[in-house]
Amino acid sequence: MALNFICGWLSAIFCSPIRLLHALLPRLFAGAPSTSFVEASPNSKETRMPKFYHDDEAWADIEPLAQDDGGMHPLAAIAYTEEYSEAMGYLRAVMAQSEFSERVLELTEHIISMNPAHYTVWLYRAKVTSEIGRSLQDEIAWLNPTALKHLKNYQIWHHRQTIINALGSPEGEPEFISTMLEQDSKNYHVWSYRQWLVKRFDLFDKPEELTWTDNMIQDDVRNNSAWNHRYYLVAGRGGKLRAEIADREIEYTKAAIRKAPQNQSPWNYISGIVRVAQLPKSTLKDFALEFADVQTPEEVYSSHALDILADIYSEEENSKESAEKALDLLATKYDPIRANYWNFRKGLLEQPTA
Amino acid sequence: MAPAISETQLNYARHVKYWRRNLKTLLPHFYTSNDSNRMLLALFTVSALDILGDLDAALSGEERQGYVDWVYSCQLSEGGFRPWPGSNFGELRNAGNKRWDPAHIPGTFFALLTLVVLGDDLERVKRREILAWLAKMQRPEGSFGETLGEDGFVYGGNDSRFGFMATAIRWILRGDLEGPYDGIPDIDVDAFVSCVRDAECYDGGISEAPYHEAHGGFTCCAIAALLFLDRLPLKPDQKPDGRLRGVTNVAQTLHWLASRQTTTLDEDDGLDTYNDETDTSETCHDAHTFVKLRTYPSVQAVTTTKGQPHSHFELQWVGLNGRCNKVADTCYAYWTCAPLQILGRLDIINQAPIRKWLLDKTQHLVGGFGKITGDPPDMYHSFLGLMVLAMFAEPGLQSVDGALCITDRAKRHLESLPWRKEITGDVDLQDESIRLAGGRMQVD
Repeated sequence: MALNFICGWLSAIFCSPIRLLHALLPRLFAGAPSTSFVEASPNSKETRMPKFYHDDEAWADIEPLAQDDGGMHPLAAIAYTEEYSEAMGYLRAVMAQSEFSERVLELTEHIISMNPAHYTVWLYRAKVTSEIGRSLQDEIAWLNPTALKHLKNYQIWHHRQTIINALGSPEGEPEFISTMLEQDSKNYHVWSYRQWLVKRFDLFDKPEELTWTDNMIQDDVRNNSAWNHRYYLVAGRGGKLRAEIADREIEYTKAAIRKAPQNQSPWNYISGIVRVAQLPKSTLKDFALEFADVQTPEEVYSSHALDILADIYSEEENSKESAEKALDLLATKYDPIRANYWNFRKGLLEQPTA
Repeated sequence: MAPAISETQLNYARHVKYWRRNLKTLLPHFYTSNDSNRMLLALFTVSALDILGDLDAALSGEERQGYVDWVYSCQLSEGGFRPWPGSNFGELRNAGNKRWDPAHIPGTFFALLTLVVLGDDLERVKRREILAWLAKMQRPEGSFGETLGEDGFVYGGNDSRFGFMATAIRWILRGDLEGPYDGIPDIDVDAFVSCVRDAECYDGGISEAPYHEAHGGFTCCAIAALLFLDRLPLKPDQKPDGRLRGVTNVAQTLHWLASRQTTTLDEDDGLDTYNDETDTSETCHDAHTFVKLRTYPSVQAVTTTKGQPHSHFELQWVGLNGRCNKVADTCYAYWTCAPLQILGRLDIINQAPIRKWLLDKTQHLVGGFGKITGDPPDMYHSFLGLMVLAMFAEPGLQSVDGALCITDRAKRHLESLPWRKEITGDVDLQDESIRLAGGRMQVD
């Protein structure tokens, strides 16, 4: 499945376990025992009985605060279940009087299970945790499976990174990431988290990291997330790329392209390496000619090779015609779904500054 | 599976029905996980009906006023909006518990736009308070968050989405005027532009943070934010002014955006049915289209008996994805087309097959759009699908502003409001440039 941006936008914008960490952190740093992270499996399909409060003795003293939906004409009103409506009524009531107690802790868990995007319930829970002196390990043990139920929520990953930062060791994390990537090898948040691990624990030059990335590329040579991670390992500390590293990467990428020439990821990657190594574009000319030559228009094995050749020709003296030919081949035969773009590029050739 | 539609068309009546139903009846309970995002769903509902040209017909005067009042019921006494009524304590709200019910960047952004679409004049909006709060919502390195804690801590992620919404709020309330206004400090525009520049990737896309993978959503939010700030690259006829600008390599970003066009339209397209590439079931198979095309004569060389260019079966439907080698998804049609429109280059993608993909493959029989081929509709994909068709000037749809997600009519209404014209200066072009020069001097 494609990363669904709504998961980032709709739920992630608002679901903020990071708030919890903000409140917990001082205690984490103060003396969290260095126990390893317990990984619970996501249990998203659990069936449970609805929970109600009105007939619960423990809640008899609370008058629920009903939702004021702002008049006769609310927008985007939702057909809440009775369970959710009631629980929210009790939550508002205890929040309004700032009650911090064990029963409130359970209530916040209940709300989070139905609406993890409730952006202040997390903050409130953190305050409760701190006020009642709940053990941090208990809280983390609860949080893990909860986070695992919301895999596409980027703030949960941010949250995880805050915990690992406090614990001071990446131990176990690569394994956890692998488990995650088995479910979705291009999960944006997981790759972002992996980058953070590399930076936090300075894994740039650790051979295992590059080997792992290589394995991910071998598994799926079109996994752009894996190529991007490789770029991070190689060039992510900024500055000009050293010549021997650039050579190594160029040869590595050439081999990957020879396996599957019509694959945009390594072509983008090799161009990026050439640029960050401050080499001329023409460095790639002979290689691109292996896959496409405007002199033999019937034998083209990669549209991306034509694209790069057009770019190189456009900067050469007296090669404008070849550039035009390459772009024509792309527009009419080898990549017609982008015909308008290739014709636009042709138009740029006419401009003296192009 | 593609629905059997003989002729590709926007099922106008069904979309109107879909959105009127969203407006007038309760949303199904599975939207509960989006309860805290109701203001977003509110904007989608009224703006979709506006794009369909149905807003006036759908609403009585009383209903319109009722919806406006509902949005205002989400305004906080200290300024800014909550994005839903669920955190409102009503008369019990006090200094001690209001931190559980804070002003919210997305809530404020979507509330302002919903009011604009409904024709409100924003006179009841606590505009000064919002602008003062906005400056506090920016972190020292330039990014924006979601809510402000009592200790001044800015909660929320630091990617371009909150920056997009924060800069949009600023544009709505004070245009692209830079520097302090009427005693209220401005945001640090340069710091934010730096954040956006640092998130540019080696392939020309923009990501959530430096060195992360290029992504359509972040690319769109970043470019739209630069538009609101008037910090996009200078056009050829503009004189350099020394201001820090984003999108440092426009040619490469256009290349990346054009590359989002794909013939990988559903999961089945991701199966290695040809056994001709070293790949896996998760990969993109535009390669297959390419391999097949290689054996065909060129598009221009082959014409039908009617003299029309022959088009390959596979190329009739072209989708858009959000990252390299991913499946097409309705929402990425928006996240790709909006930045192209903002950069003035919507012409570099092939609109006809994208339109055909949206209408034949992700448009749903009951109205609205799904995420990928055959998916049931949801409000998010339904709205963004409609936005794209409106950007393509689909007959029957009103013209839209791609960055704000509202019709041009609604945007003109905002720009005509007297209090706003007072801030931005009137529309006389000469006055405008003098004012802009003055604004810059304040900052420099």
